[in-house]
Amino acid sequence: MTVEPDFNPAIAPPAVPSVTPPTGARMVVEALERAGVEVVFGYPGGAIMPVYDALPGSSLKHVLVRHEQAAALAADAYARVSGRAGVCLATSGPGATNLVTGIANAFMDCVPMVAITGQVATPLMGTDAFQEIDTFGITLPIVKHSFLIRRVEDIPSVFAEAFALAEGGRPGPVLIDLPKDVTQASCAFPIDEPALANHHYPMPAAQDLDAARALVEQAERPVLYFGGGIAIAKAETALRAFHERTRIPAVATLKGLGGLPTDSEHFLGMLGMHGTRAANIAIDESDLLICVGARFDDRATGKLDTFAPGAKVIHIDGDPAEISKLRRADAALAGDLSAILNALQPAMPDIGAWRERCAGYAKQWAMRYDAPGSGVFAPALLKAISEAAGDNFIATCDVGQHQMWVAQHCRFSRPQAHLTSAGLGTMGYGVPAGVGALFAEPDATVVTVSGDGSIMMNIHELATLRRYRLPLKIVLLDNSQLGMVRQWQELFYEENFSEVDLYDNPDFADVARAFGVEAFTLDRREDVPAAVERLLATTGPILCHVRIDPRENVWPLVPPGKSNADMIEA
Amino acid sequence: MDHRIEIDFHASEGAILRLVGLVERRGFEVLGMTLPHMDATQPAHMGLTVRPRDDSRRLAVLEAQLRRIHGVSDVRHGAANDPDLRYEAAS
Repeated sequence: MTVEPDFNPAIAPPAVPSVTPPTGARMVVEALERAGVEVVFGYPGGAIMPVYDALPGSSLKHVLVRHEQAAALAADAYARVSGRAGVCLATSGPGATNLVTGIANAFMDCVPMVAITGQVATPLMGTDAFQEIDTFGITLPIVKHSFLIRRVEDIPSVFAEAFALAEGGRPGPVLIDLPKDVTQASCAFPIDEPALANHHYPMPAAQDLDAARALVEQAERPVLYFGGGIAIAKAETALRAFHERTRIPAVATLKGLGGLPTDSEHFLGMLGMHGTRAANIAIDESDLLICVGARFDDRATGKLDTFAPGAKVIHIDGDPAEISKLRRADAALAGDLSAILNALQPAMPDIGAWRERCAGYAKQWAMRYDAPGSGVFAPALLKAISEAAGDNFIATCDVGQHQMWVAQHCRFSRPQAHLTSAGLGTMGYGVPAGVGALFAEPDATVVTVSGDGSIMMNIHELATLRRYRLPLKIVLLDNSQLGMVRQWQELFYEENFSEVDLYDNPDFADVARAFGVEAFTLDRREDVPAAVERLLATTGPILCHVRIDPRENVWPLVPPGKSNADMIEA
Repeated sequence: MDHRIEIDFHASEGAILRLVGLVERRGFEVLGMTLPHMDATQPAHMGLTVRPRDDSRRLAVLEAQLRRIHGVSDVRHGAANDPDLRYEAAS
């Protein structure tokens, strides 16, 4: 450094602070902050490094998972519990492809998510560069929308639009692919963020509401059939008020559980393949289905042309594209579920006999917990945990027999309490979802119910639990089998048990301890009360390894291709 | 039976793939396509001739699914030889 000989600091002009134009990466972080994001789940790597470089000092809490799939699944659960878009972050190439399952999971279950991926620099795109993959193209079928940002000045508007899209209307994942040269570039001029209009639903026409009301008033055997749209639209208050007013026997889809509290009067439980017999028979005998936020999914309806064969249909949904997609609606009401349910005030006909008949079915076919033997009966254990945890309970499930047992036997008091991969059926969802749920609602009692097949799909996330000291309670139901596949092979493939035996599982309690997670094993029924108490009392992460009978099946069951009325039991 | 679908949309990166991909994924074979020159400052237009892959596929459902794609401003459908649906007639 040289100093001019006549330099006199006493008379020098005051120093002007240099204004460094923000980089694209800085603008990404600021855009997330402006969108109200508090938590980002991610994993760094080459093409996304500029964004990671800009993270320190921001208000964002970054949760470092151990696999990008877990970042997307945690963001999914965070969104379901918080009601705001979950955010996940990964690098290009394998980082992005590892996100794909989690993005698809959010797409299938209509979960608001913004997935951000690094990309190789734009001059390298299309050259098969290191860790280059067409993330935009790969994800086209599984996103609500996607953006590839080619100009640094577009970052603020694209991020604002992405959050509006992810959360508005029928929610879903939005992908933003960020080439590295864009995040490294500086933006030399200020950018105004565009004001985006909030999504709003038009109210259905008065004559459509009148038509629906008339159908209810003429019905003799109506059933209220509700699904995951209730949670998406935050319409549980309106649903509960409608149910209170009409006292129509009600059934829920897998995703609808919690829309009405499990112990509500006239609630018959879940319908469908592993639904209650009462729910399926009530649907079968109904003369009117009031379908709210459900989509006649094949797991719910069984053989579609035998589903509610004598019923007319009122279909209420936020997405007009779902109405009459699979079952023609006699009255179609597209719009805001709460507004429609509040406006639908029928003069209820006398359906007392129908209510009594349904109540009788519920009593006649109530779930039983008096299983023989002295081993742990998983349905009873899950019921006990959910009841002991109370209204603070959130269950996150993996996929398989245990997932159905949770749906059948746990008590739910709100729709956000049951986090399950319903549409995609993603084994490995449970533990990352537990991570996401705890960041969204740290005071909740979050219990992950997993199986010995599913847990191995994302078992590395025990490290994330340990790292952040998350008080997740994992109930691992271990039958040393891929239980649901085994059940189907037993029932529908002439007991040809093919590749379902997991005899060589590790000792899961030892594995958990190796990650620094407290663990214990439960294999006697008499120890269940103490195990439940220990699980709920532990302040850090804990895994309860439960050995169960490998011959246990999920009952009842609608065989594939059959009518829901043709349920079979043990 | 073949059908014609006319789509007005905002020309953005990936829009064509997004539209054609949805039509194919939802069970329709794309038999023909009309795509005039696109300019990001003007609404773009695409015409597709499609055939359902089985009897359960309904044009009204496909139209509703196309309408919910971000950037799509209008969708019309009709018989493949419906002169009222032609882009040239509408423009």
